[in-house]
Amino acid sequence: MKTLVLGTGNPIVSDDGVGIKVAHEVANQFNSPQVTVAETSAAGLRLLDSIVGYDKVIIIDAIQTKKGRAGQIYRMKPEDFSFAKHLSSPHQINLVTALELGKMLNLVMPQEITIFAVEAKDITSFSEKCTPEVEKAIPEVVKMVLEELKC
Amino acid sequence: MIDPITRLEGHGKIAIFLNDDGGVANVYFQVPELRGFEKFSEGRPAEDMPQITQRICGVCPEAHHMASTKALDALFHVEPTSTARKLRELLYSAFFVTDHTTHFYILAAPDFVMGPDAPPAERNILGVIAKVGLELGGAVIKTRHDNHWVIQTIGGRPIHPCFGLPGGVSKAINEEERAKIEEIAKSSVEFGKLSLKVFDDVVLKNKEYLDMVLSDTFTHRTYYMGLVDENNKVNFYDGKVRVVDPEGKEFCKYAPRDYLEHLAEHVEPWTYLKFPYLKKVGWKGFVDGKDSGVYRCTPQSRLNAADGMTTPLAQEEYEKMYSTLGGKPAHYTLATHWARLIELLYAAERMVELVQDPEITSPDIRTIPTATPDEGIGIVEAPRGTLTHHYITDERGIIKKCNLIVGTTNNHAAISMSIKKAAVDLIKPGKEITEGLLNRIEMAWRPYDLCLACATHSLPGQAPMEVTIYDAQGNELKKLSQGI
Repeated sequence: MKTLVLGTGNPIVSDDGVGIKVAHEVANQFNSPQVTVAETSAAGLRLLDSIVGYDKVIIIDAIQTKKGRAGQIYRMKPEDFSFAKHLSSPHQINLVTALELGKMLNLVMPQEITIFAVEAKDITSFSEKCTPEVEKAIPEVVKMVLEELKC
Repeated sequence: MIDPITRLEGHGKIAIFLNDDGGVANVYFQVPELRGFEKFSEGRPAEDMPQITQRICGVCPEAHHMASTKALDALFHVEPTSTARKLRELLYSAFFVTDHTTHFYILAAPDFVMGPDAPPAERNILGVIAKVGLELGGAVIKTRHDNHWVIQTIGGRPIHPCFGLPGGVSKAINEEERAKIEEIAKSSVEFGKLSLKVFDDVVLKNKEYLDMVLSDTFTHRTYYMGLVDENNKVNFYDGKVRVVDPEGKEFCKYAPRDYLEHLAEHVEPWTYLKFPYLKKVGWKGFVDGKDSGVYRCTPQSRLNAADGMTTPLAQEEYEKMYSTLGGKPAHYTLATHWARLIELLYAAERMVELVQDPEITSPDIRTIPTATPDEGIGIVEAPRGTLTHHYITDERGIIKKCNLIVGTTNNHAAISMSIKKAAVDLIKPGKEITEGLLNRIEMAWRPYDLCLACATHSLPGQAPMEVTIYDAQGNELKKLSQGI
């Protein structure tokens, strides 16, 4: 199964870089010709470009939720964001819309997409380091991604 | 299920205050700003800046990479070789093709193809493709994909190029790569022509839309800025910054190193983001006209500030646009979408010219710098406006001071004015404030191709915007949120 592990975020904006840090660590610990580990700071159509052609995609990103605790880890599926399509104005397309667009245009889309999101504390300060709470969560997310790769 | 609200601090906010009669008294537009970049860059080697600065923004990393690389040329007092300049411009043109394609089809087209009052669930790219056809959808994806391949091939990496060095670039291209880029460039020219035809069919042939484009609600008479070559023609990569007044007369033309003589920044207490203005005219508030230092730098502004395009098909479209809009300069904000497509065609034609240049595969790609670094300023046109990078270093090339003026910041005052005017014209006493009204207000700022940097890659993925309307006593009357 052709698999992509995609860390998304901004590595120079504190907790926003958590997805990329996790991806780097996964790359250090896992090596298989079937698995590509990559990073991106892009969304929408560029995200679509990244995932086309893979059977399975694991995305890691930062998130902020209403009642979240910094460092909390969520395992989600694209459907968890499906309501957003109706909320969105066409500023950028979201993940669900990007997936629908790919299907509409008969692109080879992944059969399985899993998202690991880490609750962020600081996403507005320039820093190459995550906050301690988020930093602490990284080994656990890496473990979860590695487990997912074994499935 | 959890409740993602994306970047709580990362969304744009529009606050509309009504007067006692229910009309609009004032409008404030706030965009998020990441904190502390100047501090973050201090103490780093200047050569790292093209890699670091492109991380500021998930939308236009290539623009930061290029402005930064040019700032390094100036900092190290080195001229890039002719081939290096051409390779940089070739990559940059491919970037413009992808970026302008995205903006038009994802952001602009839904308003016109689906209609400004269509429900948001339909007013998106899926709706556009369902209506216009799968073939066009495929062409959008293919053009973007192919030009990203060009960026990766020349720039060394997808999304974040790593090829810009003081004095040149890090790698040459071979004949096989050149031939493939030529094929992509030619195909992009066809795509540019097709996109202008779509605009013609959907917008220009629809009287209601054309009237909206020409309406006073979406019109501002300001100064216009853009990079021009030695013949005053549009250039994205290099040249001097030219500014024309609201009547189209040249106001000034300056080399990048002189930008501080011409620009100053106004500060308002309600936003951290500054408002650049023309120093020699002065800050007179959020007002139009020749006496106000407010300027714009958008695709429309670049065309207004120049005497034309260097490529034949884009020049033809340029002439058609000004003839339709009643001459130069054009003050119609919504016509920016049209100008953007003309720029897309120009970028594709320029790719063809550059890739057919016999020098493009030359291995002479670097002039090794030998001078001591001190201060450097680099300017390019980013898709959303003139982008300036300014670095001061010690004699080892370690950054002591860094200043950036990005596209959206340049347009900050004009964006605020555009939103206010739309709000004043559209919100009337006794008229219900609806989702459709919110979209019409959005249409006033959408042409600026706003870059809410920290919101661009957030899950679930859109740049959120919140509009709050307050009555004369400051009580919240209505809040409309999108993507929050």
